[in-house]
Amino acid sequence: MGTDLLLPVVVLFAVLVAGVYLVQVFDGIVASALSGIPARDHWLAPLRRGAWLWLQQDITTEHPDALNWRLAPMVYFTLAALGMAVIPWAGQVVAADLSTGIVLWGSVEALATVVIFLHGWSANAVFPLLGAYRYVALGLSYILISMFVLIGVALPAESLKITYVVLSQQELWNVVRQPLGLPLFLIVGLGIAFWGPLNFADSADLAGGTAAEVSGPHRLLWTVARSAMLVAFSAVAAATFLGGWLGPWLPGLVWMVLKMLLVLAALLLLGRVLARPAPERFLTFAWVVLLPLAFLDLVWAGLEAL
Amino acid sequence: MSWLQRMAGEAPVPVYVARGIDASHDDLAALALDANIELVATPRHAAVLLVVGTVPAKFHDGLRRLHDQMPRPATTLWYRSRPLPEFDAPHTLSKTDRLAPTLTDLYRTLYGRTPQPVLLPDRPPAPWRGLGDYGQGGEGMMGGTPYGRPMAMTDDDLRDGLQLDALGFTLGPFFGPWAPGLLMHMSLQGDVVQRVSVQSPPFPQAPPTVFGAALRGAVPIADLELARARSHLFGLAHSLETAGLRSLALRTLAHAARLRPGVDIGLMRGWLRRCGLFASVPPGCGQLTRTQAIRIGGTAARAAGQPMDARLEDPAYRRLGFSVIVQDAGDCRARWRQWLGEIEQSLALADRAAGENVYTDQTEVVETPRGRWRRGAGIADASAVLEELLPGMEWSEAMATIASLDVAAGEPGEGGEP
Amino acid sequence: MTVADAVFYILAVIAIVSGWRVFRTDSMVRASFLLLLSFIAVGAIMLLLGAEYLGIALFFMMAVEMMVMALFMVMFMMNPAGLNPMNMVHQPRVAIGAGVAVFLVLAAVALFAQFPRNSAPSALDPVRSLGRELLGDSMLIFESAGVALLATMIGVVVLSGAGGRFGASDVGSRPPGLTPDAAPAGPPEQEEAASGGGHHGH
Repeated sequence: MGTDLLLPVVVLFAVLVAGVYLVQVFDGIVASALSGIPARDHWLAPLRRGAWLWLQQDITTEHPDALNWRLAPMVYFTLAALGMAVIPWAGQVVAADLSTGIVLWGSVEALATVVIFLHGWSANAVFPLLGAYRYVALGLSYILISMFVLIGVALPAESLKITYVVLSQQELWNVVRQPLGLPLFLIVGLGIAFWGPLNFADSADLAGGTAAEVSGPHRLLWTVARSAMLVAFSAVAAATFLGGWLGPWLPGLVWMVLKMLLVLAALLLLGRVLARPAPERFLTFAWVVLLPLAFLDLVWAGLEAL
Repeated sequence: MSWLQRMAGEAPVPVYVARGIDASHDDLAALALDANIELVATPRHAAVLLVVGTVPAKFHDGLRRLHDQMPRPATTLWYRSRPLPEFDAPHTLSKTDRLAPTLTDLYRTLYGRTPQPVLLPDRPPAPWRGLGDYGQGGEGMMGGTPYGRPMAMTDDDLRDGLQLDALGFTLGPFFGPWAPGLLMHMSLQGDVVQRVSVQSPPFPQAPPTVFGAALRGAVPIADLELARARSHLFGLAHSLETAGLRSLALRTLAHAARLRPGVDIGLMRGWLRRCGLFASVPPGCGQLTRTQAIRIGGTAARAAGQPMDARLEDPAYRRLGFSVIVQDAGDCRARWRQWLGEIEQSLALADRAAGENVYTDQTEVVETPRGRWRRGAGIADASAVLEELLPGMEWSEAMATIASLDVAAGEPGEGGEP
Repeated sequence: MTVADAVFYILAVIAIVSGWRVFRTDSMVRASFLLLLSFIAVGAIMLLLGAEYLGIALFFMMAVEMMVMALFMVMFMMNPAGLNPMNMVHQPRVAIGAGVAVFLVLAAVALFAQFPRNSAPSALDPVRSLGRELLGDSMLIFESAGVALLATMIGVVVLSGAGGRFGASDVGSRPPGLTPDAAPAGPPEQEEAASGGGHHGH
């Protein structure tokens, strides 16, 4: 058990660390491409900002819930790492091949709601609390849609194990077999990681939302945790829709990482080009349009599997 | 300095801008476009507090609180502003072209400097000594306001008679997304605004200098219309920033910086439509009634279907073929469309005027981006409209509405008569 | 003592201690999430027992339930963070007595009941066997329950939307009268809100 866990765990941590760094780099590249303002150095900028945050004072508000406030970014990062643990990087390289990997992802999303609420509420300030409220108000919508889409993906695999889901895509990738699935899943990803258009928790109209009263290493950890969740989500999307490690010529691990980076780049681009809708409007859209589409996707997947 | 400090010094400077009276848009736009400077939304993310323009004495405590909220190491730069008396050796600046380099220098040398003093006492708002069995006040279950923190009490909700905890707080006068000086007390249920009361109206904002000059004598219409287009572009950039599209907002600011007569904004219109800015608010969000629209005047009135424009009274404009653009609805979307339409119209007018070298004929009254400005009279403050408009809106709709409206007073400045 | 035993004991201690802390903490939000921690520990114990699907589904369900509970605490309670000094417990002696009594009864059940000795087969695929049960013999029950739950969720979201129950909620809609011409049903409108809102006594 020891040695065949070593490689997956090493891969997991390497992908997490490199992924978090690449999220910041890609985001910077997308930002300067869209705004037309060239940044000084895309590759060093995240490290410089990280150094600045590391050295900054970790200032507090009046009587925050200090334990939960500090714990929230750590738990959020742990949830992202837990989610990545069930993802296979190559045929046998998976840290925890849980027979209910897909349900674990549902739990990760549900627990993430708790953690983000705690991060907002613990600050004992107005804007973080409003950010927390807004995230929780929409959290159920994302979880429902993601569960329907993932069940659709599990149907051809006849299993909830993500390894089997990847293996079931040997003839045809799920992005082609269930065309509604990946777009819906990307929207869910933006929501769960509260990024870009669905960033209701840390949004600009709340002066940074749950991160408004946060500084120093705490803020660094929160940024790292958010990026880790994006990376984890991209990895799941790559494994369940883009065929995971399957592909010619290159080794499986390289394919998996490339597909993950592709989904990550798509999420980061969408994050910078779409405006944030009003929460009520998005709620209506999610329950009136996206949920029926998720049902349709499930029915389509069922018919296909028959 | 350790290598970590050297690396930190290379990062973009996080600056929080506290705008006082006569803080001009152009300086701040230039700062936003600088790759070395990052304008942050909250002082807790900042390393430098940039105070621009005079801050009236009644808001000095707010300034002190902003200063104390910055995590250390931090410093303050007073740009065209009188520093607070507590500072022994304040950093001041009055020259525009040195703003970004000064900020960068201050930031790079942060670690070597003595720590900034804390200006306000770090104590709860009110002292407390409980008398009762559980530390409470002694009479009844609460007996007073412990530590100055009021208990969360339920209150009526505008929607369906719910009774949930009402969250009341005061926001301003240095809140970034709002006009400088606007101080409002808001009461929220969840994220729906229940009550708004304007405690202090925004500082009077002088229009760009060319409008003042237009009241003293004839000015080239091209300059006037370019200034108008630039002002509307700033408004659009502000709305984009509030909708979460910071990169596109910076792109709009870059457009504004290099604006020339006859520039085609078709591309910008395209990506504005595709990015979903108009879809981000429901139709009818921030709808003005006829009286409110007339009271605010300017672009907001024209977006509500009122064809009020001082340029109609100017023969020079009529010769250029000017006609008023109006929209049907008076909501946020209409105001944004109105801005876009007026930008296109202004650029076309400027192109024609520059070609024929046309000057304004009318010097009694001029149409500023904020509204109609008659010589000798200012433009009235309309922030009381917000008290009627905002209740019932969700927070993001309220912020989008405030971003689409310009309700500050316009002072006579140097153009009108005192 | 195997690794599984050690993990079981640690999880059991977490479950009991966090359950106890629910009642001793002043902050209501912390209380909700300490209860969540207790449930997560129990869910992990279920994973140890081989009920993989049920254990992880427990995390899932309890997270959302405790989140809703915490949100209701913040929405309706006067002192949800316990920051202001006040006594927030009611009838403490009765509650302690009832709690101790129930604990003793359940502990007696756990210690003295005859639990079945047959262990799960090593080739057990919990997901497959659960699926066969849910969609085989018990399909009618679970499918109707599932559809009813989904309809309830959708109904709740529709009711709480801006469309409101009997009209736009922004204007405080009132339910229609019992007969076509009657006055609107529901509580009569109050001119001024009662002092202190809904906290009548405590």
